[in-house]
Order: sequence, then C-alpha cells, then structure tokens
Amino acid sequence: MTNDRNDLTLQRFPGRRSPGEGGNASTLAKPYRAFSVGRIGAITVNTLTELTRLKVFYFLLVFALLLIGSSMFMAQLTFQQEFQILKDVSLGAMSIFTSLLAIVATARLIPQDIEDRTIYTILAKPVPRLEYLLGKIAGVLLLLAIGTLVMGAVFFLVLYAREQTLVHVTMRQMAAAPREQIDEALRAVRASAFNSDILPGIVIIYLKACLLAALTLFVSTFATTNIFTIVVMAFIYFIGHLQAIAREYWLQEHSSGWISRVFLAVVALIFPDLQAFNLVDDIVAGTAISLGLFFKTAVLGVFYTTIYTLLAAFVFYGKEL
Amino acid sequence: MTDPAVAVRGLTKLFPVPFHRQSVVAVRDLDLRVEPGEVYGLLGPNGSGKSTTLKIILGLVSPTRGRTEIFGRDSRLVESREAVGFLPENPYFYKYLTGEETLRFFGRLCGLGGAPLKNRINELLTLVGLTKARKRRLGTYSKGMLQRIGLAQALIHDPKLVVLDEPTAGVDPAGSREIRDLILDLRRRGITVLLSSHLLAQAQEICDRVGILADGVLVREGRLQELIAIENQTELVIADASPPLVDEIESLINRSNAKLIERRKSTTTLERLFLEATAKNDEARMSNDERITKQK
Repeated sequence: MTNDRNDLTLQRFPGRRSPGEGGNASTLAKPYRAFSVGRIGAITVNTLTELTRLKVFYFLLVFALLLIGSSMFMAQLTFQQEFQILKDVSLGAMSIFTSLLAIVATARLIPQDIEDRTIYTILAKPVPRLEYLLGKIAGVLLLLAIGTLVMGAVFFLVLYAREQTLVHVTMRQMAAAPREQIDEALRAVRASAFNSDILPGIVIIYLKACLLAALTLFVSTFATTNIFTIVVMAFIYFIGHLQAIAREYWLQEHSSGWISRVFLAVVALIFPDLQAFNLVDDIVAGTAISLGLFFKTAVLGVFYTTIYTLLAAFVFYGKEL
Repeated sequence: MTDPAVAVRGLTKLFPVPFHRQSVVAVRDLDLRVEPGEVYGLLGPNGSGKSTTLKIILGLVSPTRGRTEIFGRDSRLVESREAVGFLPENPYFYKYLTGEETLRFFGRLCGLGGAPLKNRINELLTLVGLTKARKRRLGTYSKGMLQRIGLAQALIHDPKLVVLDEPTAGVDPAGSREIRDLILDLRRRGITVLLSSHLLAQAQEICDRVGILADGVLVREGRLQELIAIENQTELVIADASPPLVDEIESLINRSNAKLIERRKSTTTLERLFLEATAKNDEARMSNDERITKQK
C-alpha cells in the first residue's frame, strides 16, 4: 500500500451556494431520464474493461496454439480428413471456449460488485437496476463477440494457410497432368477447406454463448457466491445437452398428453436445449445448414437470451442489497 | 416551506431469519428529519441500524413499514438520487481502473460528459489531493486514498445531499482530519451531510444535530450543543493566571453557594498531540532531505 503524503491536503471548493438552491437535482448533471443508453453504455464499457484487464483473453492464445498445433499434427492425413478434423477441432474449441467464458465471466459480475460494495455506489446514483443489469450483460456479450471474432479470424487464417499449402503441393505434384485435371483437383481442395456453412455455424456458437451468459446472470442474481453459480451452470450445461435425448425417450415411453407437453415445456425453459445449437457436426460432415434451420436456431438463441435477462431483472429488482 | 433534505417517517425494517419464525428488527418506528444545509450525525454502536437506515434512504433496501423521502421525493424512486452522493463504509472500487477513470465512470452514470466532466474530474482530484495519483490503478491506493476517491465520486455531480457511512473508518488521524475538514467545507457550501459514525469525538466536532440509535430505536435526538450541555455547570479557561489569582478565585467560589468540582491544567487532545508530533517529524525529515540534496 502506498500513500503519497505530498498529495494529502484537501483543497477548498471554489464556490459556495445556499442550502436548497437549484431545485432538487444537482447543478452539473443533465436532468434525469427514465431510460438512458448513455448510462447503460458507461456500465457496458466498464464491464468490458474489467474483464479485459482481468486478462480473460489469454484463452485466445490457447485457442491459436491448439489450432496451429493440430494443423501441424494432421499434415500426414489426406486433405479431406485434415480439413474435416481442423473444422471439428476449431468449431468444437470455439464452442467450449465461448461457453466457458460466458459462464465464468458472468458468474462473478454481480456477487463481486456486492462483495466489494461497488454496487452501492452505482445504484446510489440515479441508475435504475434494469440499466445496471443491461449494462453488465451487454459488456459480457461484447466480450464474447470480440472473442468469437478473433477465434473465427484465427480459424480462417489457419484454414486459408493450409488450403494455400495444399494448393501449391497439388500443383507441384500434378505439374505434368492436363489442365482440366489440375483444376478439378484444386476445386476439390478448395471445396474441402471452405464451405458456406462455417459462418452461420460460428454465429450460432456465439448465440449459444449469449444464452449461457444470460442464464448465468439470472442464476447469479439469487446466488451468494461465484462458485455456486458456476456449479449450477455446469449442471445446466450438461442437462441442456442431454435433455433432447431425454425428451425423445420420455415421449416414446409415455403418452403425449397436454400435461406431459406442459411439463416438457417448463423443463425446456429452465434447461434450454443446448443440443439444438450444436451445428458443428453438420458443418464438419458437409451437410448444408438450411436457411430455415439457421433462422430458427438464431431466433431460439435470441429468445432465450432475452427471457433470461428479463428474469434476472425481475429477481434483481426485488433483491435486498 | 422548503422540503427537508431527508425525511424518515415511521420506518421499520425486519430481516427474516431463514428457518425461523422470528425476524431480526434492524430499525423500529424511526422518525428523522434532516434540514437542508446541516450536518446530521446518525450515531450508535455496531449493529444499531445506522447502515440499514442509510441504505433505505438511498433505496438500496426496501422498508418493511414507513416512508423515506429525499427533498420531498419518495426515496424508492430512482430520480430521488439525482441530488445524492453516497460513500459506503470501507469502499472497494474497481481496482483495475485508475482514479481518473473511476471518476469518469461515475460521472457518466450521472449524465455528465465532455468538457464539463473533464473539468469536474480535475477539480475533484485537486480537492481530494489525488492529482498525482490520477493515473494509478486503485489497486495500488492506500485505504485513505480509497476513501478520498470515494468522496470524490460521491461529489462528482455536485449533489445537494451527501450521505457518508462511517467516512473515517480505518483512516489514519491526518486523513481523518482532512475528511472532517472537507465535511465542514461541504457545509459552508450549503451541501447537506448525513453521516453515520461510532466515533463520537469526531461527530461532536462536525455535526449540527445528532440522533443516537440503539437496537434500531432512536433514543436521543437534537442539536448537539443542547444535548451535551450540563445546565448547572460553567467552565472558565484562563490563560497566564498566577497561582495566587487561581487561589483567590477558588476561595471566592468556596465563600459562595457554588461548588468547585475540579481544578486542573488544561490539556490538549491526543489527536492534536499526534498530528503535531507527526507534522514536526515530517518537517524535520523534509529539511533533512533538502540538506542532503543541497550537499549533493
């Protein structure tokens, strides 16, 4: 702990005013508005700064090393296998890293602010609780967006580098072959490397992370510690991935009456069907993701994120601090 | 008639205890009124309900019964906090932010921006003596410095009411004196101050009125001078009095119906002694440093 004694002397305020002067508000701030994007923006930027300075982006380095390492290891496979595994590893790692980041980064936000009493100084200002929560979640979603963008860029870079290497190798090996055969081989290499479903797949991975962040925020509004939130979220994560199979089994074994359907709908709301966001297998297998499926999954992600954020706001509104 | 800065009417707060039928009573039937421009001290031992009362006034905790108002506005409404600055007990701000960034963040929450915010930050950093530490992260600040940056954030939007929860808790005597001087300066500016404390000597120096809480009940309230005055006693403090003069005064008292209770040398306070001693030590060290620098 340091203390600069030269800096200790408190100075006088320059002016003086009489008690009660200037209405009810302060003399400097703008008049209060019930909803302010500026206030939410301040909390968003602060949350993003907090998470960035906590060095959470180190995981991106792990991701890059994983990708470069695996691509070097796969050099001995056929190019179709290599690209398939590269996409599998990359998209799988992106999904796990963004999910993990969403849960761990969000779980600490509110309990930490309460523990440090920072929340008192924020909510003692004219800041509605809803804006505080929206700012916090927006900060995490921005962090996830940056993380996904960087991971996506690293993924495309590695994929492009491998494609270029293979194109050169193919051209060298087939130097004596007719032009049509070379073109055919190069088309095959390029088609294996890039397919148009990768981008929507990455968007769905991001939306799944957003959903998990909103759900974590909701759990953290009634949790007392970060650990509790993370443990509960770990359960929800696994149940969320298994619930589709469990639901199919249930419907096969039991009657599909309205009670069962309501029960399953409630379960689906509490434990979102995370398997529905798993489009990686289709992308790796080269199965085309239809526009309808993409939009349906995207809307589901946005719906869940909104619902959980609103539920978090509802619980947080009545919370005694 | 102007609205009181703070009005508390019939306030009761019960905290339920999990798995028990009974609740803990934090505050019971509390009535308070803080007038604009005064320094009001809410005193009481630990657990007497001071912090709970302040949190209810600030809308951080909801009352079980009763009503609280800030300048005539229900304190459950967010807009009532436009006029309020708050410093919690032992605050920990975002330690990854610098002093300047912290003030910018809180300023933006109050709707400030651009040049007015920049000027205000400079003004407040000068006020609390942290100009040189403005670029340092709060993680490296001492407790006293954190308290001062806390005061600066409470004042960022130039509020009309400042609520301070144990403002000098854990601060050394010099820092504590500076915070006390700042509170007096706020009063001179016409800013109302509501503070909670269990450091009675300090409260006695700065408060116009006090309320004493015990087990959530307001047991005493009023103007400080009226509360602590002893009606039938008078103090005379005489400088340069010779012993015969003092003896003569004493015999005069004995001849009358009055009674001399105590005769003693005037003393300074331990705090003043500490501040003088540490200030002399600082001066000696600084002149020694200057001498060494000149020799070099």
